Amino acid sequence: MSKGWFDADDNTVVMPAVTARPSPQTRPPGNHHPEPAEPTTLAEPSEPTWPSEPSVPSVPPEPPWPTGPSAPAMTPGDRVRTALGVTGEVLITMGVIVLLFVVYEVYVTDWLSAGKQRDATSTLDRQWSESDVAPIDPGNERTGKFRPTDGEGFAKLFVPAFGSDFVFTVLEGTADQVLEVGPGHYRDTAFPGEPGNFAVAGHRVGKGAPFNDLDLLRSCDALVVETSQSWFVYRVLPMRDEVGGWQTGRGTDQHCASVNPLGGPYTGVVGREIVLPSQNGVIAPVPDHPELSFDAVPPDQRAALITLTTCHPRFSAAKRLIMHGVFVKQYPKDPANPAARPPELTEG
Amino acid sequence: MYALIWRVLPGPFAVKLVEALLLVAAVLALLFLVVFPWAEPRLPFNDVTAG
Repeated sequence: MSKGWFDADDNTVVMPAVTARPSPQTRPPGNHHPEPAEPTTLAEPSEPTWPSEPSVPSVPPEPPWPTGPSAPAMTPGDRVRTALGVTGEVLITMGVIVLLFVVYEVYVTDWLSAGKQRDATSTLDRQWSESDVAPIDPGNERTGKFRPTDGEGFAKLFVPAFGSDFVFTVLEGTADQVLEVGPGHYRDTAFPGEPGNFAVAGHRVGKGAPFNDLDLLRSCDALVVETSQSWFVYRVLPMRDEVGGWQTGRGTDQHCASVNPLGGPYTGVVGREIVLPSQNGVIAPVPDHPELSFDAVPPDQRAALITLTTCHPRFSAAKRLIMHGVFVKQYPKDPANPAARPPELTEG
Repeated sequence: MYALIWRVLPGPFAVKLVEALLLVAAVLALLFLVVFPWAEPRLPFNDVTAG
């Protein structure tokens, strides 16, 4: 009878101490459980006896290590060990939480922003296709009437140097909620193609990270902005160390044909600069000269610039990475051939 | 701390395991859906605007 009962529970772990399989002779003699209150109904571990009464299985034998509430009273040393163990677990937990935050910041926000950017792009595409049906005043980007509302997408930014599929819908405003959808246009700066400074901020880490590789742009790389009516091609300005020998150096590159170091009030404005977060002069109509009224610049000296801003160095907000480009070419969209693309998009 | 949680969880091993995984999932959801979105704009890692 007892054999059958044992077989039924053979795969459980509640009865290790009374199984007959570990030979009692192999046990060390000092392995007796230290618990003085050991239930006396259990046989001594050294005696290879079978439980005789059916009531015995309801009393699980103590394993030879202290567990649970029936463990002996804690010594001061045990308390110290427990406290250290809990402290260690808390510290490890906090470290894991910090790592999870990095995962959130770098990957999860990317997924969330990708969906928002898709929505913004499809909204913009729908607007543009509707405006084809009901034509609006052509070229109204230049008239000053064109003013999108905050958070509204109004243009697409292509950077062929980052790949022919690199395109982001640019939205109006630079609030956090806008920038997690896509690059944001600084309010009150110029619009694409306008004289002045078309200034756009974008995340470098997470949230789609549109400006992740902004520091890799070289002078003369194309920055193409598509609006409802036109394609505007900007090119990155000469870098600081290229300005001197521009005509014989980098300036001879085929893409640099319309790019020259800026003069007049723009002297010193170069393709890339790294500034403090407080230096908002980089998005002024004449970059780095916020004190200069654009109206005071002679119209024939006014330039149409693009400025992209993001954080620097990566994962830090200590500084800002600024890229400046100059407007070189406009392709009005042809309603008869809406699929036409500027050749600059395939420069790669 | 984790040993205590494991002891407090009721049921046999398999049930405890499921309960523990559910607890982990709940904590992760709380972190990713509530805590991190709340903390993120308060931390200076991702400011991209000038001025």
